[in-house]
Amino acid sequence: MRCSFISLNNDPYLSISYSIKNSYIDEWQKKGKKVVGFYCTYIPEELLYAADLLPFRIRATGNKDTDLGDIYMVRFTCSFVRATLDMALRGKYDFLDGFLICNSCDHSRRMFELFDLKVFNRENFKKKVHRFYLALPHVITDEGFEWYKKEVEEFKEELELKFEISEITNDKLKRSIEIHNENRSLLREIHKLRIQNNPKLTGSEALQISMANSSIPKNIANSELKRLKSLLTKREDIDISNKKRILLVGSVVDNIEFTELIENSGGFLASDVLCFGTRNFMDDVEFETNKSPLERITKRLYYRLSCPRMMDDHQRRLDFVKEEIKRANIEGVILQRINNCDLHGCDNMLFSHELKEMEIPVLNIDREFYQADTTRLQTRIEAFLEML
Amino acid sequence: MFQLYNKNVNQNRIIPYRILLNATSATKELVEQILPKNGVPSMRIGLQELELVLKSTIKKAEEGLPIVGYHFSFPAEYLQCFDCVPVCVEGTSYFLAAFLEGGSEKYYDLMHNYGHPFHTCTSQKGTMGMTLDDLFKFDSLITPTAPCDCTIASYPFFKHEKEIPLVLLDMPYSREEKSYEYYANQLKEGLIKLGKIIGQEPDFSRLKKAIELENQVNNLKLEIFELIKTTPSPISNIYNAISAGLSIFISGTPENLSYYEKMLEIIKRRYKTKEHHGGEEKIRSIWPYMITFFSIDLMEWLDRELGFSVLFDIFNYNFYDPINTKSDLETIFYGMSKKSMGLPMVRQSTEFFGPFIEYCIKFAKDFSADCFVYTQSIACKQFGSVPQLLREALRDEVGIPMLLIEFDAGDARMTSLKSFKEKISMFTQTIS
Repeated sequence: MRCSFISLNNDPYLSISYSIKNSYIDEWQKKGKKVVGFYCTYIPEELLYAADLLPFRIRATGNKDTDLGDIYMVRFTCSFVRATLDMALRGKYDFLDGFLICNSCDHSRRMFELFDLKVFNRENFKKKVHRFYLALPHVITDEGFEWYKKEVEEFKEELELKFEISEITNDKLKRSIEIHNENRSLLREIHKLRIQNNPKLTGSEALQISMANSSIPKNIANSELKRLKSLLTKREDIDISNKKRILLVGSVVDNIEFTELIENSGGFLASDVLCFGTRNFMDDVEFETNKSPLERITKRLYYRLSCPRMMDDHQRRLDFVKEEIKRANIEGVILQRINNCDLHGCDNMLFSHELKEMEIPVLNIDREFYQADTTRLQTRIEAFLEML
Repeated sequence: MFQLYNKNVNQNRIIPYRILLNATSATKELVEQILPKNGVPSMRIGLQELELVLKSTIKKAEEGLPIVGYHFSFPAEYLQCFDCVPVCVEGTSYFLAAFLEGGSEKYYDLMHNYGHPFHTCTSQKGTMGMTLDDLFKFDSLITPTAPCDCTIASYPFFKHEKEIPLVLLDMPYSREEKSYEYYANQLKEGLIKLGKIIGQEPDFSRLKKAIELENQVNNLKLEIFELIKTTPSPISNIYNAISAGLSIFISGTPENLSYYEKMLEIIKRRYKTKEHHGGEEKIRSIWPYMITFFSIDLMEWLDRELGFSVLFDIFNYNFYDPINTKSDLETIFYGMSKKSMGLPMVRQSTEFFGPFIEYCIKFAKDFSADCFVYTQSIACKQFGSVPQLLREALRDEVGIPMLLIEFDAGDARMTSLKSFKEKISMFTQTIS
């Protein structure tokens, strides 16, 4: 049965995306359980969850100010990372019990030192926050995989030691893989409802779902995603008759102000290639009985659809962009980067030439994390959409 | 397959090197003819040696040998195991930035127009622009995946836009035993892969000789470094610029050894006579990061106008254990790996900031520094979180100030020479 248009504006699950902390974290910590913050999707969430730790992806949602962050990071650095540091210096991340960094990019990897020295060592902050670091290779090779596998194994031992966990057993890991695979599968099913010709949700709603998903325990997220999927299936189609179907590619987007800017300007974000989007849920941990669960988790992480921090994998990223253009019936591609993001900036340059050769309209823009230059962006986006 | 014999066609494969040779020869002539005989010896000697290497490199290109581009953190001497024409990607952009009116700006702009972001590294952007303009015809490129995002982001351009085979050496983020072993294997496999691309077997006996030569250079550099501790500094500021350029451009050649032998002699003499290049040393500064490659004459101006010594920059304080060439090949590659991971910028990028800050504090004390000048280049995001930490550490541990200047090391249009002079002059007034 098709229902009249159901608004998700006040949906409790989506509203998690508006804030950093949420009631699920409070509940989790009330039970004496710990929360580990991380920046990048190249970390083994399944392992943390198996250790009864809540993986929380660090965001700067809602922050429009980087005054404190600017003291420690020069203006040539990423405003997203600066905004997260700013929030942390203001105490917004004091709820973390652990902090995990990997060398994903030059901006976020240096947060290890800054959080260590300036956030967790600041005056009147007495809580002990364990710090962890994972070194991830920059190319995809068999040797690189062996390296990362050892890193993850050592990380597991470190977790057990620092959080005084007797053992993160294979059974716990297997259970965690099941929950996370189910989570990704649900996100993919919801994604299908978005890319179809008569979509059931907007790109901004999809982003909110993804952000909320990274901020709460996955078993709860799975129940919520099932509820949302059922609700969206029954929801009336979104009217996109006057809108252009857009693929959004590039730097991290953790704020719907930017996606709404596009969707309110005549675009419909039919799909994306973002780390709060498809890049995070397209690949599952495979079922291979001859491999340990930890190895399988690492394999997915290492070989999955990459971001440009992987140096020799541009072709695979391009292939995915092309597939997504077909799958989501895309009319134009918006390539965006947060200023000073060299990785996405250069990858976008390659994309822009390659897509133009395929005669797909492309808009390549730079922006700040916070919407400081909305009018400039809006003008460019509107002009692009009119051109389509 | 690369033995082409048409000299005109062949020499057109490295046109920027021919431009650089002309610029080097012209600058050398000016230095020799205008300056007094003992004026700026590092420049005079450095340009003589550079000119010799450039001539030999161009000759090799004319003979049709394969053109191999290499990243500045891949030591040039490692390419001595091939009959090839080594071209330093970053060095070319910055030498041209230093020697030519307008520098490499034309090529930066070419890349900007092509869609390359404004905030990436000009050292790569210049050569990318030259390649886009077909002035370079590389047969292959070799690069580590360090020290920065700009390296990781920029090099794929050569592969995807110009279809040049790219050899990538994955350098781990952590300076420890397992990393040295991993990177040693990357180096070995990488050289074999490069050999296959250019149709040659690596000649490891030649590699050994080049490494032995650089071991000697390292010892000379260390000796010079010790002498800089004295007051006044026995080096001229511009020595830092020339040495930085030569280290990445001509390492592994007899000319590099010759440069340092001659320089050590001069520096020893100055050390004994307590002679300062600018006349009187008023302020001793350490530049823990880069100097202005777009205008190396700033160095001379600081010496002569302000008596402001630049004791060293990032390219002149990184040393390594000599590579053991008497043992087996694995040991040599291990040594090469360790050296590579300790190179300027790479060292600081493959570990946390702690050791870098500790080094700086130790240097400040050992070298009796009055201040630090931290030049934050727009491209170097991996260093973008350190200036304030370093400033606080220097203030608290040594009691000296640090001036922070944001700039682009290869492009005067961001922070001009005039602006540099004004900032440093004002800073000098506050600490005099």
